[in-house]
Amino acid sequence: MKKTPRKQLSMSKREALYGYLFISPWLIGFILFTIGPMLASLYFSFTDYNVVDSPTWVGLANYSKIFSGVPEAIRTLSSEPLGDPLFWKSLQVTLYFAMLALPLGLIVSFFLALLLNQKIPGVNLWRTVYFLPSVIAGVAVTILWVRIFSPRVGILNPILEKFGIQGPGWLSSPDWAVPALVIMSLWGIGGGMIIYLAGLQGVPTDLYDASKVDGANLVQRFRFVTLPMMTPVIFYELVLSLIATFQYFTEAYVASGGTGGPVRSTLFYNLYLYQNAFKYFDMGYASTMAWILFVIVLLLTLLVFRSSEYWVHYEGQLRGRG
Amino acid sequence: MKRLILILNLVLIATMVIGACSKPTTEVGSPEAPAPTEAVATEEPAATEAPATGKVKVTIFVGMGTGTDPDQIDAQMVLQDKFNSTHDNIEVEFLIVPHEEAGTRFLAMVSGGTAPELVGPNGVETSATYFDVWADITPYIEAENFDTSDFYGPAVELNTYPDKNTGLPLGLYPSFIFYNKDLFDAAGLPYPTHDFNDKTWNMDKLREYAMLLTLDENYNNATSPDFDPTKIVQWGYDDSWEGMRGALGMWGAENIGRPTISDYKTAVANSPEWVYGLNWISNGIWNDHFIQDAAAQADRDAIANDPFGFGAIAMFYSYTWFFAEGLVELPFEYDIAPFPYNQKGERISRIDADNFTISAGSANQDAAWEVMKWLTDPEQIIDVCLIYGCVPARKSVADEFRTVLEERWPGLDYDVVFNSIDYLDNPNHESYIPDWSRIEEALNNSLSLIYTGENKDAQNVLDQVNTEIQTILDEYWAGQ
Repeated sequence: MKKTPRKQLSMSKREALYGYLFISPWLIGFILFTIGPMLASLYFSFTDYNVVDSPTWVGLANYSKIFSGVPEAIRTLSSEPLGDPLFWKSLQVTLYFAMLALPLGLIVSFFLALLLNQKIPGVNLWRTVYFLPSVIAGVAVTILWVRIFSPRVGILNPILEKFGIQGPGWLSSPDWAVPALVIMSLWGIGGGMIIYLAGLQGVPTDLYDASKVDGANLVQRFRFVTLPMMTPVIFYELVLSLIATFQYFTEAYVASGGTGGPVRSTLFYNLYLYQNAFKYFDMGYASTMAWILFVIVLLLTLLVFRSSEYWVHYEGQLRGRG
Repeated sequence: MKRLILILNLVLIATMVIGACSKPTTEVGSPEAPAPTEAVATEEPAATEAPATGKVKVTIFVGMGTGTDPDQIDAQMVLQDKFNSTHDNIEVEFLIVPHEEAGTRFLAMVSGGTAPELVGPNGVETSATYFDVWADITPYIEAENFDTSDFYGPAVELNTYPDKNTGLPLGLYPSFIFYNKDLFDAAGLPYPTHDFNDKTWNMDKLREYAMLLTLDENYNNATSPDFDPTKIVQWGYDDSWEGMRGALGMWGAENIGRPTISDYKTAVANSPEWVYGLNWISNGIWNDHFIQDAAAQADRDAIANDPFGFGAIAMFYSYTWFFAEGLVELPFEYDIAPFPYNQKGERISRIDADNFTISAGSANQDAAWEVMKWLTDPEQIIDVCLIYGCVPARKSVADEFRTVLEERWPGLDYDVVFNSIDYLDNPNHESYIPDWSRIEEALNNSLSLIYTGENKDAQNVLDQVNTEIQTILDEYWAGQ
């Protein structure tokens, strides 16, 4: 009997098949351990779930707890606590931290990269020194900084005193706890610095040569060559830092002993989420907070992406204008 | 050839996935139960199913409180062997989990249907936090007419709630004042009385002593017109390791250390006695200066393991568990004294207490009850309490245990330890209330308002937190 010839897959389909085969372990893991739990948490956000008992469907009750009173508050411009006051407090603390830490981190790491992009003796050692703190574990670093910030026995306030400045209570002061954490966050700018450094070294030197020929000084070269060429890297760092800022947890947890104190001044969004999940055993509400955070970060990221067309310049675009 | 490579790839991938998803091999102390049984939380003792070996397995989950030090682990293994060698029908196995992950691991076991039979040692706080998970041992006590008279009566009451008795008392940690004798000598002050009937030793007297023992860098005490409160080097009194409920339970409110009335639905955190007590603390920090504020505590914690070992606090209010933790090679003489009488002429001396509890969803609750009785039996209770550092809750072994304490920590007045038990706080400062953790957080946040100076008005602070607690309670009961 004549055999029917086997239908051969096209080359592109075969390549695609092999590709999927090779990434399938990761894909399966991603589905099982990332997508699956995400979908489960979405379901839990519509339930009352204390881990011990089975989840009980409550519909939008968890979301209502947070957003109830918002329309009225907007209408009346009321400052009275909305829904869950601690939710809004935690969001406020996180936004306050983000407003300080995000621009400061971006600017400081960028200028550090500029400095370390110079051809000076020992520059590799300096790059290593500035990068090292970013690879040290968060808990150990936080414990170290708690000691540094100690009002009288730490090293920071005595240094300030030498300059005639009366140091605050830092982590023991509700007004200074978040600024202290912002300062602490600058310890880890080495990671961003390395990314900027790589970007700076990718700026074509002929652009600098041409600008020098045109009579541009140092500041002008920075403003019209370096900065525009670095905008893609800044954009990348901004997106990553934005996401990381809203996920801030470890340092706040260790510094406040998990309480978010003093007086809830370090009650970050993720810390309050953690408390709801693992301290109050309100997994349903914690899942709700997780999804709201996802939406907030998604919207902010989309905003940054949309704005990028106005301030991010890619090399091809710039050269094309010439 | 290509087909062979494709097949090999598929086999490799399948192997990796199966390997990643397969059940781990059973480890010693695994929480896995034998043949699955229906774990039903009822008020009647659950039926016990004996596996093929003939011995019913009881897992003792340790980690919620103490019990995870290497020495303690070894001692618990000895206890395990002792029980197993003397019981033909029950086999115990300690499952010792690091404290940081004990809570989540326990909940995972409960939700996964593999709840351990016994959990402990649990402080009152742990018993309260997981209140709904524990079985009621009242049916066991009634069925056997179990004699609880040898236990300290108040200790039994600590575990007894309107709808549940969570466990037999194991150990107690009475509280008292640890005082630095060297600082008292330097100030020329007599030591606090050890006479429990001396009513002149009250909170006013403590305040008076504390102010005389609070010094600035020029050795002016807090009663001196030259005293500089910005340069304090020594403080008279500290209770900073305690939360709001513990700090205010001593002042004689009707509900002692509980911020609700007995219906658990009405908040009373702003009772006159609690306001009085919080005012006393606020004045002690900001007017009289004999209590450290939050900034001073941060400095202290940066260089010392505890307020008493810090060496610059004359009187520290703590418990017997502090013996092992804090009375280690101290460079000064010290002793302990009864906690003073309050403004109402009552003495309420906080207590921490440990017990073992039975998980309501566990498979072998009858056997767990037998193990619970054995652990708290006069023959074992001293050994068990020595592992965990508590005073046995049985009166009949008090003298024997006292001898052990005197050998380990000589020179202390142990009458103070045992007599303080009679004045324990009930309702306890860690006792059950609905949504325990959330209310605890609200109260301790309010206490930090006082310690940081953000709000020094005790009435205002307690009025606000009372409103917050009432909201939490209303939400809780609306969902029931």
